[in-house]
Amino acid sequence: MNTLFKDVFGVFKFAEGLYAGIRKILVPPKAYSWQTFIYLSVFSWGLSYFATSYIKDVIAFFGWLFLIAGTAWYTTEDPLRVPGTFMPVGAVITGFLVSLVFAFGNQEDVITPRTIVFWPTISALITAIPEFIEGNDTDAKARIPRPEDRQRIIILVASSMLLSCWIQFYFVMDNWLGQYPSLQADTFKRSTFVVRREQVVKIPQNGVIILEKLQPIVVEQIAEKPWSEVEKWLLDAKQRVGTLGREIIKINLDKYEEKELWRIEPRVTNTKSGYILDLLSIWIGPSSNPRGYYLKKSCRIEPLAATDNSGNKITVAEIECDRASKLIPGSPPPQQ
Amino acid sequence: MAENWMLPRIFPIGGILFDFLFVLIAIPIEAYVLHSRLKFDKKSSTFYAISINLFSSVIGWLIFFVSEPLLPIQMKSELINYMFFNNFKSPKTQTLIILTAFIIFFATFLMKFFALRVLLLSLNEPVAKKEEALEISQRRRPRGFSNIKLQSTNLLTTTLIANSLSYSVITIILLFRSK
Repeated sequence: MNTLFKDVFGVFKFAEGLYAGIRKILVPPKAYSWQTFIYLSVFSWGLSYFATSYIKDVIAFFGWLFLIAGTAWYTTEDPLRVPGTFMPVGAVITGFLVSLVFAFGNQEDVITPRTIVFWPTISALITAIPEFIEGNDTDAKARIPRPEDRQRIIILVASSMLLSCWIQFYFVMDNWLGQYPSLQADTFKRSTFVVRREQVVKIPQNGVIILEKLQPIVVEQIAEKPWSEVEKWLLDAKQRVGTLGREIIKINLDKYEEKELWRIEPRVTNTKSGYILDLLSIWIGPSSNPRGYYLKKSCRIEPLAATDNSGNKITVAEIECDRASKLIPGSPPPQQ
Repeated sequence: MAENWMLPRIFPIGGILFDFLFVLIAIPIEAYVLHSRLKFDKKSSTFYAISINLFSSVIGWLIFFVSEPLLPIQMKSELINYMFFNNFKSPKTQTLIILTAFIIFFATFLMKFFALRVLLLSLNEPVAKKEEALEISQRRRPRGFSNIKLQSTNLLTTTLIANSLSYSVITIILLFRSK
């Protein structure tokens, strides 16, 4: 009984300690302290929830301002430094908030690439600011730091700028992959500069799309047409398919920069009974194979006896195309 | 946008490490040249070497970021080809590379020179005192002016030597790598 009482008492003591600890963090010791700022920021956000239009943005902005001030104050009270440098962790956190809000955040996605790119630089600048201010809590004035401190600051700022550049370099590479999606079907094994996750795309999708869109148009222009007209069409195939291809690329690939790196060409070969029309979409952009690659879709065109509306016997064309496009490495066959 | 943050689909670790390696190679070489030719003490020559290399690297990156979207599509394609697949398609690129290498060399040289001058100016204790001292020394020695000029050319040649040395070592390393 006695031990049980002791245990209960112990738990009570523990809860009391916990409560005191939380209370110490949550309740500001005096009106002028960092907790006040955090509360102000929470309060501003609460208010901004009810406000409308630009007032909402203004109040939310002040909320961020208070949050930055609060964290900056809290973290400078007890500086914990990033290993190896004299940069306080607080400056890193404050730097993140600053680059989040002022520098280039927007409402839709809170974290943009720019936020991350400017984060190290802004953190370093925030670390440097106190070095330029002399004085205590009541009185502060600007000063130029001592030469050794200046050296430290310059190296810190320069190296964080370099870090920012490296992060931006990552985003440039990522953007390339986004603008040139056909690169994703290639292997990056020989690259010195980048590594990537294992390849998932087997065949460049944009090339496939071009051929998928091109095929029905070509079929429509050839099928059931008089044989002599079709032969004329095939004589002129290079220009016709080229024009069609450019239109398709303009419609379907407009959002990609790689649209200028696809070229659409036909190849016409005679067979015993008719013709084979190969539709090629040729990639002239970067590829691991120095000779490039192209996608091919073959259509067989053959004459077929039929009768026209007035009952005369004529020969019309029949066209049949491959279902799927084939990826063929190397340069395309020469044009006749 | 969300899945982009989970796991990067591409990471330019090689590019970053190469840049880091270049800076690491260049710093001791240039620090040594600054120390032996300009008679700076070891600590400050190391500081100058670190900062001119970091700054020229940063400015180089900035120029790359600004010019990359402006490149014509063929050049951009060749650049991507080199970065991602380590080869070139068009034979014309070779000439362009040699030209770019020249431009990069002289551009970094100029950047390092100006960075060094700015650092020297900004780090010397009160500037006014220095000028006074110069005036005194000028009065004392009539050839003081030419002395300053000599110092400036000395700075220029030292930067040139330091830059050439570090670039030679980097080129040798690159040659070893390509074998």
